[in-house]
Amino acid sequence: MSRQKKQTILLIEPSEIIAAGLKHIIDKSHEYEIINTIPHPGYYNSTQIKPDIIVLNPTTINYDERLDIRPYFCPGGDNITIVALTSSLHEERIMQQYDGSISIYDSATRIIQKLQSAVEDALQNPKGERGELSSRERDILVAVAKGNTNKEIADEYNISVYTVISHRRNISRKLGINSISGLTVYAIMNKLVDISELN
Amino acid sequence: MNNIRYSKNMKLAQLIAADSELLSLLQRLDIKLGFGEATVEDICRRYGLSTELFVIICNIYSFRDYRPDADTLTSDDITHITNYLQASHNYYKQVCFPAIHDKIHSLVVELDDVSRHLIDKFYDDYDCEVANHFRYEETIVFPYIASLVAGTLAHDSEYSISKFEKSHSYIGEKLNDLKNIIIKYLPEEHSSPLRFEILKDIYDLENDLRKHSLIENRLLVSLVEKLEKSNE
Repeated sequence: MSRQKKQTILLIEPSEIIAAGLKHIIDKSHEYEIINTIPHPGYYNSTQIKPDIIVLNPTTINYDERLDIRPYFCPGGDNITIVALTSSLHEERIMQQYDGSISIYDSATRIIQKLQSAVEDALQNPKGERGELSSRERDILVAVAKGNTNKEIADEYNISVYTVISHRRNISRKLGINSISGLTVYAIMNKLVDISELN
Repeated sequence: MNNIRYSKNMKLAQLIAADSELLSLLQRLDIKLGFGEATVEDICRRYGLSTELFVIICNIYSFRDYRPDADTLTSDDITHITNYLQASHNYYKQVCFPAIHDKIHSLVVELDDVSRHLIDKFYDDYDCEVANHFRYEETIVFPYIASLVAGTLAHDSEYSISKFEKSHSYIGEKLNDLKNIIIKYLPEEHSSPLRFEILKDIYDLENDLRKHSLIENRLLVSLVEKLEKSNE
């Protein structure tokens, strides 16, 4: 990664004071710069501005839509790192969509660290819709479709239950299917598992 | 924050002209068309509905960013809310789900045996789940609320509305799965107009269910909680 070229950030934050403060902190860093600030996602036009990172105050999005922000910001499944800028607590399932989060109470150093880890996390666990299932995810999907519990899957693949749960979360996010019966339908239709193997 | 919204003095026909989605509310509340120049208040009085509640529900349906506030309602509105929710259940059960079911049924006829079996079973399971969900509300939650309102609740009643809140599973999840299966994973050769129609129906229903749960969570639960506290 070239040192000279800073990663670009679009900031979506209605408070001018907070926006100015964050810009002051981030622009001083070597890695990042805020290229644009808008008060509301409504001003975002994905065809014009192409930032590397979006820093977004989750409350600027209608509550109903907070669970599904990716299609809005990355319509083609582009992988933009999206970081939440928070001043209060949000539901876990809302936060799961973000690659990281910054609190307005974080120190300047901490903010830069968090941006770095969000960018890394976005690379390792892409939350974009484009992602195909990895082979491990496919194995786990098959096990789920066959009716195995998380514990059984963890034992079979020698991983922790926690890891199974994060795999399942990633699978559901990639496919857009959450229920076990929906995952089973997917697995059979894609011939990952044969209908005769099901209980 | 709430900008200009509907009010009880507007003509009902004006509301429909502004947003045709409100027609489905009239349908489920069995409000007959042909109401002439009647205002919202006139109609509510004629049909024995709570005007305040009706206006709130119309606002919920028409304005995405509208957040209903239970403070403008009283415990007298609780029964009106459960009546509405029941009417809404009937509408889902008699109109929405059967329509989707019929279309799914015609769709699977075109599919290969395995896909047909899968989709059929998936939808049947979902149908059962929804029926159970509604049955739970209608046989446990609504009667509990009715006796709470009437003041005839048994002293040893263990139920409280917080249990409803906890058990309140989101029935939209599988609908969302079905949507993605139809959009992304059914083989392309079955891209019949029917598939688009089903999707449109599912999107409309999802939208409606979201508003339905908004009414349950923001209005019903908070009013009943208040009543429970005042009874303690």
